[in-house]
This record gives sequence, structure tokens and C-alpha cells, in this order.
Amino acid sequence: MIRAYEKEVSWKAGAYAIGVHLVLLVALLISFNWKAAHPVLNIAEVELWDSLPKDVQKPMSAPIIEEQAKPAPIVDEAPKPETVNEEKPAEPKIDIALEKKKKELIQKELVKKELEQKKLDEQFKKDKALEQKKQLDALKAEVSKDKPIKNNTSDALKKLQQEALADDKSEGDKQAISAKASANAGVVGNAINKIQAKIRGNVNKTLCREGNPELMFDIILLPTGQLSGIPKLVKSSGSAACDEAVERAIMASDPLPLPADSSLFSQFRNLKLKFRPND
Amino acid sequence: MAVAVDNDMSIFSLIAGASLPVQLVLLVLIITSLFSWWYIFIKLATIKRAEASADDFENAFWTGGDLNKLFEGITAGHRKAQGMASIFEAGFKEYARHKQQPRMEISDVMEGSRRAMRAAYNRELDDLDAHLPFLASVGSVSPYIGLFGTVWGIMNAFRGLSNVAQATLSQVAPGIAEALVATAIGLFAAIPAVIAYNRFASSVDRLSVRYESFMEEFTNILQRKS
Repeated sequence: MIRAYEKEVSWKAGAYAIGVHLVLLVALLISFNWKAAHPVLNIAEVELWDSLPKDVQKPMSAPIIEEQAKPAPIVDEAPKPETVNEEKPAEPKIDIALEKKKKELIQKELVKKELEQKKLDEQFKKDKALEQKKQLDALKAEVSKDKPIKNNTSDALKKLQQEALADDKSEGDKQAISAKASANAGVVGNAINKIQAKIRGNVNKTLCREGNPELMFDIILLPTGQLSGIPKLVKSSGSAACDEAVERAIMASDPLPLPADSSLFSQFRNLKLKFRPND
Repeated sequence: MAVAVDNDMSIFSLIAGASLPVQLVLLVLIITSLFSWWYIFIKLATIKRAEASADDFENAFWTGGDLNKLFEGITAGHRKAQGMASIFEAGFKEYARHKQQPRMEISDVMEGSRRAMRAAYNRELDDLDAHLPFLASVGSVSPYIGLFGTVWGIMNAFRGLSNVAQATLSQVAPGIAEALVATAIGLFAAIPAVIAYNRFASSVDRLSVRYESFMEEFTNILQRKS
């Protein structure tokens, strides 16, 4: 590799060569700010049909039931900040109180039925795992049976409840950041309701008659509210006609209403829309 | 839901996150770059030394001292003569040998010493030219190796993009940045190699011209002596 007469300089040269590369590395590390922070795109989930099925007899898939059963924990949390709620304007307070009473009633009913179910089950079966599973199923069925009562409550009530919940959280934290976040959440909820309303008006519901399918669409919005590309079907209803009807409705709703505050747009860039056309 | 993920873009994580071909390309380029810089420093030192020794020898030669003394001074050194001195040594040794033999034609003596000097000159040039082809290859090829790594990395970056509905710059940027590191290192190896090659080639040319003119002049002096 090297000649005999070069041997005496080879060590020095090698040291210089490594030095040059170290200088390059240091220059790379110093002169560039390699750290970059990327905000992850926000994905807001919008439920376009929030009312629940009236026909319980229809077959339902498990994931839907689980999602419907979720509101229960909210009820458990709600009673804590009740003193805070009383300071609020009269109208929302009444609504919330009504709602809460309703929910408490439902829960009591549930507990009663659960107890009965337990007794029955204990007589028949000793296998605990199976038993619990059954209880869960029963509970879910109960919840879906009781839900239609709630359906009477208007969208506005739901919205108010959502806002009240957000307010509760912020007051619990007593932090400016979370207060702002909850305020934003209210605006976001409003805007999502507007999007819901607009798309719902455009769906031809007669095309989605069979069963109670659920579909999910991913849409990407531009800051103007226009659609970027065509909506992407994430979860099919099983019926191509129904899928297309909802897709057409989304296309027809272009441009979608967005909040005036452009700083919130990041939460609308990627919208995941969940549809239950037959509710 | 607004979570800001701190994307680590340090040079190390870029290299660690690159695909295997890109990493291989980077490894090859770094090794090439190290070798080319090593040879550059070796050649800087040896060519500088050859020029200095040529200056010294010319000084000693043209001050008009005795050629026998000069020859003894050169051969007395514990190490082999280099550069112009080795050409002088070879030529003068051959000349002296021929002169010791009786009835030798003067043209044959001159021819023999010339051949000996030519051989020594070729050996010297071979030493001076050492490693220059390597520098030339590095200068011309390493940008392409770097480009290959970059193209491969960008291909990967765009292939990953095909699964995404809406392409944003932040999805391709890290891949392209890590791919461009390969080109950067390729250029870092190539640019000094090309500059050094050109500089060394011209230095070697000038030295070889000096050696050749010395050969001619020394032949004339020997011819006058005989």
C-alpha cells in the first residue's frame, strides 16, 4: 500500500487524515441544527349519526356496543364537580342536572338488573369467566335498551354537556393551558356539529336500508374547508351502494364548514368520520 | 391530541436509520475518504521532501566541487540516495566503471551512463507517481458512489410515501436528508482528492522536467571530462 520511503511519514499523515475527518464531523454537528420538532397531525373523530338504534332486535356487532357503553364512566365522574356547576347560568345547569338525574336513574336500574342477573347466573353456572362475559353482554343489551330514552334529548343538550364536562376539567386543573384547551374543544365540537349537519343533509338514507352497518371515512381537508382528494373508505358497510351514497354526500358537502380560528385547523386536517346511516 | 413528537434528526440517528445499502455506501465512502486523505498527506510530505532534496543537490552540484567527492558524499550516507542524487549516483557509477576498462569508446561510455541514469530516473518517477492513480479514481468515482447511496435512500423514502393518502414534506424529509448524507460524504472525499491529484501531478511534472534537464547537463559534463 505504501512505499518503503513513505513509512516515516505515514503515521503522521494518518493522524492528519483522521484529524481532518474529525473536523468534518464536528462541523456537521455544530453548523446544522439537526433537531427538528414535527407536530403530529391531529385526527379528530366525528360521529355523524349520534342517535342510537331504536330497533334492538337487529343484529349488532360487538365494537359498536362497546362504544355505546362508554358513557357510563362519565357519569361516575360527573357528581364530583357539582358545586362548580351551580355557579353557572341557569339554563345549562338545569339541563345538566336533568341529564345527570337521568343517568343516575339508568345506573341504578342497571345495578338492580345486574344483581338479579348475578343471582340467576350463580344458580346455573359456576364458571366465573363465562358468567362475567354473560353479565357484560346483558349489561350492554340493557344499555342499548335504555338509550332510546336519551335519544329524546336534543343535540344541543349533548353539546352543552360536552362543554360543561370540558369546563369541569379546566376548573379542576386550574391551569390556563387546560382552560384554553377546553375552550378550543368547545369550538371544535361546534365545528364538528356543523360538519355533521351539513353532510347528514346530503345523504340518501334509502340506500342504506339493510341492517345497521357502520362505515368509516378518512377525509383530508384543506384550510379553506375544501376536500383534498376523494374521501377514503376505511371501513365498509358491506353494501357498495350505501358506501357510495355516503361518499357522494361528503363530496356534495364540499366545502365543509370550518371554525373561523385558523389555528384550530390542525385538528381538522385529517378527519375520521364514522357513519351509522340507519340510526 | 396535539402531541409534538421530537424527531431526532442528529447525524448519528440519520445514519443509524438508513437502509443497509446506504449504510454500506457510507462505510465505503468514509474508508475511501480516510485513505485518500492519508495518501494526500503522505504525498504532500514526500513531494516536499523530493523538491527540497533536489534543491540541495543542485546547489551542491553547481557550486563546482569535485564530482568524485560529491559521489563519495552521496554513497557514504547510510540510506539510499533519492531523487536527483540517485540519478547522479547511477550515472557516475556507470561512467567510472566504464572508464576503468581500457579501450572503451567514448560514445559507448556515454551511452552506458545515460542508460543507467534513465533507469534511475524511471524508478524515481515511479515513486513520485505512487498513489496518484488512487487519488484520481477517488476523485472521479466517489461522487457516483455517494449518488448511488442517495438515489437508493430516496427510492426508499418515496416507497414509504406510497402508503400515505396525502404526502407531506415531513414524511419524506428525514429519508431524503439521510440519503443526502451519502452524497455529502462522497463529495467530501472527491473534492480534496481531485485538487490534490491536480496539484501533485503538476509537481511531479515539474520535478521530472528538472530531473531530465539535469540528466542532459550531467551527460554533457561527463562527456567534457572524458
